[in-house]
Amino acid sequence: MAALASAGWAPPAIGQGSGGKTADPQLITVLNPAIASRMAERMPLGPRIDTLEGKTIYMVDIQWGGPEAAYSVYAEMQAWFSRNMRSVKTVIRRTSSSMFADDPGLIKEIAAKKVDAVIVGIAG
Amino acid sequence: MSRYARNIELECKVPTVGASASNVVRYKDYELQYSNGMPIRYVAFPFPVAGQPKSVHRSYVEGKDLLSGKPMMQAIIDALTKPLTEQEKIKGMPPEAIPEPRLLKPDTDANLQRLFKEKEWTDFHPIVLPTEERVAQMLKGTSRKPNEVLSRRGPGGAREITVEKAAVYAVMAGAKPEYFPLLLAIAAQAPSFGNSTTSMANMIIVNGPIRKQLGMNSGTNAMGPYNEANSTIGRTFTLAGKIVGDLRNNVNAWESLGSSLQYNNVCFAENEEELPEGWEPLSVELGHKRTDNTVSIGVGWSYISSVGEAQRDHPPHMLIRDYMRSLSGNGSAATIVMDPSVALLLRNAHGFKTKSELAQWLSKNVEVAAATYWGNGVNATANTAFAFQGLEPYATWKKVSPETLIKPFINAKAIQVVVAGGKTQTTWFVTDFRFGRGILIEEYR
Repeated sequence: MAALASAGWAPPAIGQGSGGKTADPQLITVLNPAIASRMAERMPLGPRIDTLEGKTIYMVDIQWGGPEAAYSVYAEMQAWFSRNMRSVKTVIRRTSSSMFADDPGLIKEIAAKKVDAVIVGIAG
Repeated sequence: MSRYARNIELECKVPTVGASASNVVRYKDYELQYSNGMPIRYVAFPFPVAGQPKSVHRSYVEGKDLLSGKPMMQAIIDALTKPLTEQEKIKGMPPEAIPEPRLLKPDTDANLQRLFKEKEWTDFHPIVLPTEERVAQMLKGTSRKPNEVLSRRGPGGAREITVEKAAVYAVMAGAKPEYFPLLLAIAAQAPSFGNSTTSMANMIIVNGPIRKQLGMNSGTNAMGPYNEANSTIGRTFTLAGKIVGDLRNNVNAWESLGSSLQYNNVCFAENEEELPEGWEPLSVELGHKRTDNTVSIGVGWSYISSVGEAQRDHPPHMLIRDYMRSLSGNGSAATIVMDPSVALLLRNAHGFKTKSELAQWLSKNVEVAAATYWGNGVNATANTAFAFQGLEPYATWKKVSPETLIKPFINAKAIQVVVAGGKTQTTWFVTDFRFGRGILIEEYR
């Protein structure tokens, strides 16, 4: 603060028009700049499945960074399931629009086709 | 991504795991509390994912989940099959809504300055403490009631900006009461303060008689730190943007590099007095009258200077064209800020009778290789889906060979030209800022 004062800048002295004086002249009262924020309503996760064996997994690519950014990660996951859990059926699906938009058609498809589990991403 | 995961969980009743790189997943706790509300199960890859060769992606899949430390595929299997914990079953509104009292506990000047910094309510320059007296003085700048809600921000509109809160931010930034209607217009209708993993920033341009009434600078050093109104109006938007958005570094402010433009938001006034004949102010180009007082706020990233004097053999509009090739072209958006001397050259020596004529020339003459356009992540993320859907011109731009030249600035109306400066150099800036319609200030008096 001393350096600032020497540079020609100094805060208004308390009691000289600064307002907010309290009983103790050393203390000042100021308005709170923070805005109250409501916490989000909590929603539980749905039940998990017992096993992935024999199940269908959708791998949903939201195209963060573009359609090629993460697609091959899913392709590698698909290859991993082929090698290690052959009974698992995997389907890679890109969303119909960019990551900024919802894809109600894909949501309907996941529900209608009785998909068992979903991997969604890949952010970053 | 969490929005997608929640929708699938809710609407399809299907167990879902969110896959993310470590750069995004570190904000999951804040998002759970204030935005998403669902404790999505995540796995985390190393960052970055985009731009990496397939061999790296293979190593990510064969490597460890950075959240649990387990092998990645085991972590995914566990996220989809392990029974829910008690925390994951919680339902309903949390009881611990956080109250914010109107006044802070009395303290010393030094302690309050320290508190404001600790809370990240500042730009880390000293602020003027918002005492009741100072805020009351600021409120005299408007007829609006202190408790009037100007806008609601954040998820579900949970965060209310009142006139009094706007006055608090104006005081903190060192603004004067006469600036307050303009600041209220910004608080009520401005786009959100930039917060993206990219280095987003804002640009604030004032038009109309109010420029002179407030003593704003539109001449020499209009865009530099040489004017109280330009400086504190821009700074108010920074402080308000940070506090209203609850933006705290590594909590929910995640710009990888950030932008020093955010200290002042490129706040200046257009030099309307020096506009060449036929060239209208930005506000008029955006649909207002010359007599209207407006503030226009752009969103963008890039800012390139011409540096030296205009040259006869390769005049300003050609060099502007060349520099615009470096912009993303996303949304066809560009804003050129030029000295009045450049505007006059363009009009008198090169025949651009209006700003619109210059914008149309640039729209027709800026060309980049298709590969360059799609090589920009913003274009790839935002527009590739349009190409797949057959929407033009994106579909064609996707089909052509990578070296084919395309014209990304297809909408000349998204190219704005603004005149500012003091005629000491024939210089200009090319930027990619995109403006909506300017905000009328009068209704906030």
